[in-house]
Amino acid sequence: MTIAFKPAETFRDDFTYRNSDEAILRFPFPFGEDAYMYSVNIEPHVPAGPSAAYLHAFDIDEHYVAECRERARVLALDPGRCKVLPHMMTAQWDTLELIMESFARDYPEYFSLTKDGSTWTWKNRPLGIEDTFTFGDVSTLPYEPFEYITRQAQGDFTLQDQRNDNLFVDGGMVTTQADWSLEFDIGMSFHEWHAPVPLAHQIGVFDRALKFLLRLQQAQPVRRLNWTMTINPRLDTSPENYPVWGPDRTTVTPDNLAQKVHLRVELQTLFRLPRSNAILFGIRCYLASVGELARVEKWRKRLHRVLRDLPPELEGYKGLGRYRQMTIDYLAPFDDGAVLSKGPQPDQASL
Amino acid sequence: MSSPGTLTLRVREAEMISPLLKRFVLESADRAPLPSTGPGAHLRLMLKDGQRKYRNAYSIAATALDNSAYEIIVRRVPRSRGGSVFLHDHVNAGTIIEADFPGNLFPLSQVARKHLLIGGGIGITPFLGYLAHLRKMPASFELHHFCRVEEEETFGHLLRGADGGKVHLHPELVTEFDLAGMLRTQPLGTHLYVCGPEVFMELVLATARSQGWPCSKLHSESFGGAHAGGAPFVAVLKRSGVEIHVPEDQTLLEAIEAAGVEPPSLCRGGACGQCMTEVLEGEPEHRDHYLSAEEHAAGRAMMICVSRAKGERIVLDL
Amino acid sequence: MPDPSIPSRPKYKPFALVPTARSHLIIAERAEDLPDLPAGSSEAPIEFWVVVNDARAFGAQRLSSGIEITRFRSVTHLLDQLTHRLEREYVGLQLYAIGTEPFIWDISRLARAHGLDRDEFHPTHSGTLRRRVYCVHCRSFTDNVSTTIVACSGCGAQLQVRDHFSQRLAAFMGFQVDAEVPGELPPIEEAYP
Repeated sequence: MTIAFKPAETFRDDFTYRNSDEAILRFPFPFGEDAYMYSVNIEPHVPAGPSAAYLHAFDIDEHYVAECRERARVLALDPGRCKVLPHMMTAQWDTLELIMESFARDYPEYFSLTKDGSTWTWKNRPLGIEDTFTFGDVSTLPYEPFEYITRQAQGDFTLQDQRNDNLFVDGGMVTTQADWSLEFDIGMSFHEWHAPVPLAHQIGVFDRALKFLLRLQQAQPVRRLNWTMTINPRLDTSPENYPVWGPDRTTVTPDNLAQKVHLRVELQTLFRLPRSNAILFGIRCYLASVGELARVEKWRKRLHRVLRDLPPELEGYKGLGRYRQMTIDYLAPFDDGAVLSKGPQPDQASL
Repeated sequence: MSSPGTLTLRVREAEMISPLLKRFVLESADRAPLPSTGPGAHLRLMLKDGQRKYRNAYSIAATALDNSAYEIIVRRVPRSRGGSVFLHDHVNAGTIIEADFPGNLFPLSQVARKHLLIGGGIGITPFLGYLAHLRKMPASFELHHFCRVEEEETFGHLLRGADGGKVHLHPELVTEFDLAGMLRTQPLGTHLYVCGPEVFMELVLATARSQGWPCSKLHSESFGGAHAGGAPFVAVLKRSGVEIHVPEDQTLLEAIEAAGVEPPSLCRGGACGQCMTEVLEGEPEHRDHYLSAEEHAAGRAMMICVSRAKGERIVLDL
Repeated sequence: MPDPSIPSRPKYKPFALVPTARSHLIIAERAEDLPDLPAGSSEAPIEFWVVVNDARAFGAQRLSSGIEITRFRSVTHLLDQLTHRLEREYVGLQLYAIGTEPFIWDISRLARAHGLDRDEFHPTHSGTLRRRVYCVHCRSFTDNVSTTIVACSGCGAQLQVRDHFSQRLAAFMGFQVDAEVPGELPPIEEAYP
């Protein structure tokens, strides 16, 4: 499989990020029905799903090189966006092992991992990286293992320590988040970290999710989708930089809406790590503009319905307030009320 | 949860290390690297003795650094359901065994400032895995292992290693030792781990509690609950008219799917509610995290992915 | 109005001795915060530590109830001693902190650093509800906040004071309330007396 990387894409300033036709069709559209509500929508993370984005443990697409460069930029400006508490070193090595082995297995033309006892050699061809190091010895890597490997992966990651029948977010690489702060949340328990999510607490979503995750088994990862909307294809919508990206929300007009308003989907994956017994939480972020999504007939109609009927509390939490109605108005003429197939798949093979 | 498949293992070595203890070294049948494991991990073996099946879990005492092999130590227990006797009498070098992927219900704390390990008899096996890990890190730990006088040499051999006085073998009963005194003087942040016969563990834990140890600092080995199974029963699907025999090592959902019926399901772990099914007759044995206490008590709905039947027969609206 | 969409900060339980403790250390921000514990309240020894804001405070005394009380000259003085004390303590200790939120969570941070879990450390709130606010943009802390919006002591941004609380930082989150349209502020209310 050959991926046409676009290394010069930008996620800030001039925002040159665009999706190819193929990227649009493999987009993990999050709506399988015409209305959206919270649920524990966890399913086994198996090599099967509505699009190619679901097939590998950690998905790589045409934006890989550009996203890694953007991550390096964020970290240069704010190194605190990657932070791991001291007791999580074993989990760091677990993460490095899992991601390296997954990439080498799933994308052998781009990555290779060879082992000679504890001496490992890792090659990342798209990023031009080749390193030989001793597994377990931090001094043999240019960064701590978690930072080292997550700098070479798309999406955010957190490390959760399991203790006292609870999970604690004790580490993370968080540069592509939809508005939560690692510096503030690090060390929090499961319910504390999720406190800002409205409604879900009252219907017990987090109680059940926690109980489920405490019993997560090695080699049986799970996944779920989350979504929100972002103005411009900006990956760094951190609370830290809200004064920088917040004003974008007031720049949307009916004329630029299709290019500016983006659906932001998180393909969240959860893996039990063997040596530390921690949980690795992957938050893989996908962006597509309303204009790009509207090229898929089923999606332009379904997106219209979901946004039109969204519960008001979710509008505030997902930050849609200023432009939701404008987006609904833009999509409405495309919606003929036709019955749409269940499930998120695009129902067309080309655009 | 759905099973990822199993490991096919070959016994590379099998040796008696004492009259009652047999040590096995297991490698992958195709010599590929095995999954990584952590201290406290266990392996559940699926053994077949003619018609009889055993699914016994054993602590992994050691994993080779290159993941080429796992080591387990099995105590012969004549009065048990028979798995250990089978392993002792019929499993030797060259035997092929199926196993689940490793799991871990007895992990080391990542935040402990000191690890205090108290073991009895065969309870040493998870602690051997712990020692391999703790010795590599700069971790503060202490191990006290209690055994019978006759087994002192065997356990002494298993525990050998440069430990600077941290590993203590006691060829005596734990009741002859000043356990309360030791538990009164452990620094804040010490975690206590105990593994051994039930009575031994209960005694150690009770002593710790009497000295004010909080739950967050007490850990004991237990194999129950992770890989669920239960007594076999019959499930009748009213609408399809199908009668399904659910064996002890298969979930109700898996048995229904094996019979060609595809009920809705999603997480396969009792949390999402997708597979909720109406119960028309019989009493469900609830193991889910979705239904409320009232719904459990009413017994009119159940999660077929994890729950089972209390009696021999249950009728479902499927 | 505090942000109604977020569940509140930690729900504090009223003070209560843990019956299974081997020893109790109760730390209060003010003398009036100390619980009333008559002789025989526990089989395990009880100690009080209290801040009196007086440079003459010196040593420990025994109360008629048998409880030993140590008075400290300031919060800093107390926290300094607490570090030394926890380094020498044994499992079985139950630690209690009674006072305002910054006080009890600063003690919590020390407790956690010494390996105490949530079943060994018990915070009880007493006194003002004024908050310590953490600015997520510049990482400064602004103390004694009683309003729903406050100017950051570091970068000057007008911060909305959220209910989202970090025990590690012992502070509530503040983010710029007029980031999207600078100058467009909701009404400021007195909410944390």
